Amino acid sequence: MKADLRIPLAVAAALILAAVVAFGAPHVVGDYFVRILLLIALNSILVLSLSLSNGFTGVFSLGHVGFIGAGAYAAGILSLTVQQKKALLPHLPDLLNWFSLPFLPATLAAGLFAAILAVIVGYPLMRLSGYFVSVATMGFLIIVNVVLINASDFTRGARTFTGVPLATSLPWVLGWLAVTLLVLSRLVYSPFGRRMKAVRDDTIAASAVGISVLRARLVAFVIGAFFAGVGGSLYAHYLGSFSPNTFYFAMTMNLIAMLVLGGMGSLSGAIIGVICVSILSEVLRSVERGFTIGDITVPALFGASQIVLGFLFILIMIFRPKGIMGDRELTFGLSGRSANHNQKEGKDR
Amino acid sequence: MMKLSRRAAIGLGLGAAFAFSTVGAYAADPIKIGFPANVTGVQASLDGPMLNGAKLAVAEINAAGGVLGSPLELVTYDSKSDATVISTVASQLIDSDKVVGIIGFADSDSVLSIGPQVDKAKIPFITPGATSPKLPSQLGDQVFLAAFGDNVQAAVGAEFALNKLGAKTGYLLTDIGSEYTTLLSDYFVSAYEHGGGKLLGKDTYKIGDKNFTAQIAKIKALPEQPAFIYASSNAEEIGLILKQLRQAGINLPVVGGDGYDTPLLLEVGGAAANDAYFTTHAFMGEGASPAVQAFSDAYKKATGNAPENSFAALGYDAVKLMADAIKRAGAPEPAKIRDAIAATSGLPGVTGTITYRPGVAVPDKSVSVIGVKDGKLMLASEAAPAFVPEP
Repeated sequence: MKADLRIPLAVAAALILAAVVAFGAPHVVGDYFVRILLLIALNSILVLSLSLSNGFTGVFSLGHVGFIGAGAYAAGILSLTVQQKKALLPHLPDLLNWFSLPFLPATLAAGLFAAILAVIVGYPLMRLSGYFVSVATMGFLIIVNVVLINASDFTRGARTFTGVPLATSLPWVLGWLAVTLLVLSRLVYSPFGRRMKAVRDDTIAASAVGISVLRARLVAFVIGAFFAGVGGSLYAHYLGSFSPNTFYFAMTMNLIAMLVLGGMGSLSGAIIGVICVSILSEVLRSVERGFTIGDITVPALFGASQIVLGFLFILIMIFRPKGIMGDRELTFGLSGRSANHNQKEGKDR
Repeated sequence: MMKLSRRAAIGLGLGAAFAFSTVGAYAADPIKIGFPANVTGVQASLDGPMLNGAKLAVAEINAAGGVLGSPLELVTYDSKSDATVISTVASQLIDSDKVVGIIGFADSDSVLSIGPQVDKAKIPFITPGATSPKLPSQLGDQVFLAAFGDNVQAAVGAEFALNKLGAKTGYLLTDIGSEYTTLLSDYFVSAYEHGGGKLLGKDTYKIGDKNFTAQIAKIKALPEQPAFIYASSNAEEIGLILKQLRQAGINLPVVGGDGYDTPLLLEVGGAAANDAYFTTHAFMGEGASPAVQAFSDAYKKATGNAPENSFAALGYDAVKLMADAIKRAGAPEPAKIRDAIAATSGLPGVTGTITYRPGVAVPDKSVSVIGVKDGKLMLASEAAPAFVPEP
């Protein structure tokens, strides 16, 4: 029965730690480090939501950023002040231009909007497997980009969408990260999560034992899209101004690199991937300006950070093809007990 | 084995970070000015020359003894033409490097990304190249333009067409895919119509378009042909537009803004670029003014090539503007520097004289109109407009 308490205690301790960091960090470290922390947490939400379809269900989606972009624009339109809507989006339909939502409802609405999009897109696309689904979801990303550029009454077209209140703060992002982690860990390590992994590992065998492949994939895709939409809203309220090309191939590649580096079948791996890539690119960005140690002066080499990062990715893929974590989790010795515990519970029932 | 290398990698990273922070601690003496630059990514062709120009200005100032007895130091990071990186770089400059002022960017979008942070930290910010006159009112009173506003260059373009080309009727072609071209067109319309010109029609396209035959067919189908075309375009498209216009037999003069001012105009347009005119910051070609000539020579000496475009000169001027303000402020303190920038009057620069009217963060500068004749750029006119549309 002791194991019973250990996991809730660990979760509570983690939440308290997160709260302390969220509210304490801005007083202890400078704005720059708070921003790095915030970006790591924000990208963690995005990569975690990506891991649900790409890692756990075996649907290698390249369209995830489409949901992030849709969420960002949806939230941005909802939370612009009424005066700004009149100034920046004069042709917005009457339905949308008379109100302005606070941060949290706008974020939830963005998540729901992305989830509904995912249902519509996913229903036909989740029947596809392998490369086909990657290409098809990439098509979705391109469609989102073109729609964002052309629906200028709603999005200002390719011009910068600006004026979104800068509401994203560290407590908000860490709070959403906690929600994301909680939901995803409950889902992935549940019977339904095992169905998702069965679909990933062998589609034919999974359907032979009665698992609905479409349903498993669709649920993963839609829940992933919900958190992508939420992340998009957080991003929009972090940047304040953005354009359709903010949410395009560059971001896709960045998120996929973080996921693959950390390990595709692991929630903690996703976060570790984000932390490694973020810290590395920050350090490299500062080092590439050139520096002097003693008598040695290294001149500025702008662009070197991208080269070094790319090279590191190649090395990791050669020596650790499953990423840093593979499909293992960082559990601090708690998971074994919980698995036994769950089994016992199952038997009792 | 894996564990060791991972630990080594982390150690290396920490070591680098530590080494870096100590470097920062020793360099406390000079006056630090932040210069975020998009030296990689889509803005690189503008920000690269701008950074070179800025470095040249700093070298000249330091060779002459610095400002207030201390040398200037340009703290530069690559912001990668990416809004997220720009906001991180901004906090790094303000928070870690403790710069007293920031100079940067050739486009309004990047300035919009950095704006909220400089306003919050109360750090004066000068953009050498962004030309939207709405920026200061959008972003607060820390933001200054070193270039003229789009309303001024659009007015000069309109007056050039009316007075020098004698064109009382015009046709407007607008790239509605970017903030700059959309605003420029709006300002052009009010200035041209204020001056008595008449627009016979308007059409649009989007940045990235390659084929303009539909727009050209519409011009040919007009009952009355206009006397000129105002094409509010970015660098990539104007060459193609000119080529396709001339192929369709339309040899009307084409006028536009400083988006034309890259080598692409002549490279892509070729012979079709003849009779194209654009408003820009300075004329850099043969027969330029002595100030521009001196800058060109110094730039050539420092970088090995002639200034790529007038953004190099704008970067140079922006640093001189900041240095002048620090000198007049009497101390490297952001609040004093901000007030000194706002009080700048009659500061000579390569791209014209900078004066800020009280409460206006966009300088009154003269605008150069450059024309293409026989495949060569030549100065067609240099003027300040008689009427300027409201920003």
